[in-house]
Amino acid sequence: MFSTLPQKFREYNLPTDVRTLLLLQKAMDRNLIKTLGDMFSVLKGIVVKDPKMIGPFTRAYYDYFLNIDIQNGDRLSDAIARSETFRQWRDDNLDRFGDDILVGDLVDKFLDDVHLTTYDIKKIIDGKQIWDNDNGNKEDQDDQGSDEVSKSHLDKMADYSDLSLEELLERMKEVMDQQKSRHSGGSHWIGTGGTSPYGHGGAAKDGIRVGGTGGGKMARKVLNDRKFFPVDMDSILNDNNVDAALAALKGIVEETAHEKLDIPQTINQGLKRGGLFLPEMKSITDEKLQVLLLIDNGGYSMDAHIRPVRALFNKMKTRFAHDLETYYFHNTIYDYIYEDAHRSKYMPIERLLEKNPDYRVFIIGDASMAAYELNRTSRETYHAITEQFKKVVWLNPEPKRYWHHTFSIQVIKELVDMYELTPRGIEKAVREMNRKK
Amino acid sequence: MAKTEFWTGSEKYLCDMELAQAFHMARVLGMPLLIEGEPGTGKTELPIQYAADQNLELFVYATGSKSNVEQFVARFDHVKYLRDSQIEILNAQREEKGLETRMSTGDRDPENLADYVAKGPAARAYSTPHSVLLIDEIDKAPREFPNDLLYALSHRKFIMPESEEVIEVSEEEMPVIIITSNREQELPAAFKGRCIYHYIQFPEPEIMRDIVSKHYPSIETKIVDVALDIFYQFRKLGLERAPTTRELLNWLKYVKTFTTKKAIAKIQKLEGIGALIKTQTDLERIQKMVLKNEADYNRRSGPN
Repeated sequence: MFSTLPQKFREYNLPTDVRTLLLLQKAMDRNLIKTLGDMFSVLKGIVVKDPKMIGPFTRAYYDYFLNIDIQNGDRLSDAIARSETFRQWRDDNLDRFGDDILVGDLVDKFLDDVHLTTYDIKKIIDGKQIWDNDNGNKEDQDDQGSDEVSKSHLDKMADYSDLSLEELLERMKEVMDQQKSRHSGGSHWIGTGGTSPYGHGGAAKDGIRVGGTGGGKMARKVLNDRKFFPVDMDSILNDNNVDAALAALKGIVEETAHEKLDIPQTINQGLKRGGLFLPEMKSITDEKLQVLLLIDNGGYSMDAHIRPVRALFNKMKTRFAHDLETYYFHNTIYDYIYEDAHRSKYMPIERLLEKNPDYRVFIIGDASMAAYELNRTSRETYHAITEQFKKVVWLNPEPKRYWHHTFSIQVIKELVDMYELTPRGIEKAVREMNRKK
Repeated sequence: MAKTEFWTGSEKYLCDMELAQAFHMARVLGMPLLIEGEPGTGKTELPIQYAADQNLELFVYATGSKSNVEQFVARFDHVKYLRDSQIEILNAQREEKGLETRMSTGDRDPENLADYVAKGPAARAYSTPHSVLLIDEIDKAPREFPNDLLYALSHRKFIMPESEEVIEVSEEEMPVIIITSNREQELPAAFKGRCIYHYIQFPEPEIMRDIVSKHYPSIETKIVDVALDIFYQFRKLGLERAPTTRELLNWLKYVKTFTTKKAIAKIQKLEGIGALIKTQTDLERIQKMVLKNEADYNRRSGPN
């Protein structure tokens, strides 16, 4: 019945497909979904696979189920307050609240309703039992009266939670059909169809507060919090996406550890035992990750990028690459390189080329310079570097779409594999590095 | 499907409502629950406390950089097997020559292949009805591990290597599987797709207060007030390593040994702050800030 759900959620870059629907169906079959709030938490468990997806998920959910469109930078309460769904809900529930209720409070109530889960209802029912026990011995007439009122109300809630799946689906379908005829499309659950268990009377009226509807609180918190929205994998490395880039870099460590039969040792020992060959094992140690980092820190065009680059590789060093050496150059590499950022300690390129070919080399620079600067010495140096080290990549902070405007980039790109200095670019570079043996 | 009653924590453990719901959902659907979140937010505690509270058997697989699916499920010990069969030959030869045998195969019989199957936590959990299986810190594992695990987890059946013994469990008796990760590396999308995912949010101050009182029921509220105030301020600073629940509890453990007045003074002077702040740069930053505040304060209160 939610056949359009994957399509809508995909618009928000959430990986949903028919399997999502099957799981959802399974959850319904097992009675996990009885309210709209349940739908929110179950779908969240199925769809969200990363904290960065919680933000888009919340928006997609409000869009699909409630027809509430939350714009970028919008606050949830504002988006709700101006929505048609909310207006309708308010009209349907007018008798529940007085006229003097503030819009803000009303939105809170709406959120409580939307995110009311079976667990919340259960909590209330449990609470009712305690309450009943407390009042059991009292003969007071007034107490008796209020007891009845809340009981009938709570029974309704209980009834709702015991609704069979067929009934629930039937009701949901009803609402959907109604909505379709009333205004084009949309898949509201809240409306005149009376799907909401809270439509009659409402919990708040009886003084039992719906306990902590976490979903609403969370939905509100999530929006506009950068933590819950995806980082732009295609934006040039900056302070915000350093961690995403680090995750991409992490892919560089090829860890495999296993035990292997040590044949020479087995033979030696076996001969000593007079032909009794007992297998001797040796464990294969991890591949050591060695990195050379060559950074262009000359020229103001690179200034903005140096800090995030250093932050990235510093993190890399503390996390997983223990052998990381950094060198600097200005615009392009000739037959020397600098050992310090101020470019005062000079080192002939031969010394660099003497290093173990297992080093992975990252060159970071915009590769933009006057044609005469990229002379033969420089071109030969790049050639020598790629010859000595098997795994060399160039990361360029210049957006790729401008590369073909710059002659020097064109030339260097032919000599060294070049990628954008973005988390995605780094990911590609690492994948390419791993492919080369 | 395991046990499907809704569980919200025990006397010692406060299970966040959202986590409790996700956990319930995972059990009802018979899927593993993948929990991610900052270190020190009680990811590993959930299965431990659940198993203890419900009296269920717990199997733990602590993942490391050398983890593989064989260790997790079961592996056939070829080395031992070869050794034992060699010993049998040797013993037979010695017996023939009328010599006494020197080496023994222990209780193992090379004829019985099952003797050489070393069962991992998964195989043991699957042969114990209604058990709890924890796969801890899966992000520490080599990248192929989660993918290999996929296959293992999508069946309710393991076939032991060589001995071909079948370990099978019904959906009702399946172990509850909980997987934790600190997000040190991205897990494959296909793997995450097979799990119910929950990201533990860092607890709000009110919840943190409850957590503290679960651990130290007798602690003065005043101490907790002051400590939480400073703790949440630190978390807002954007430190390299923001202090977590675990560190707060350790810090409180230290200060609560003093009288209330003394303890508050200690907190305000940031004594024992090493329990909260774990890196040198962070420590320096905070010290600098404290010094600056003091200087400001002195300037303001000094004679003009």
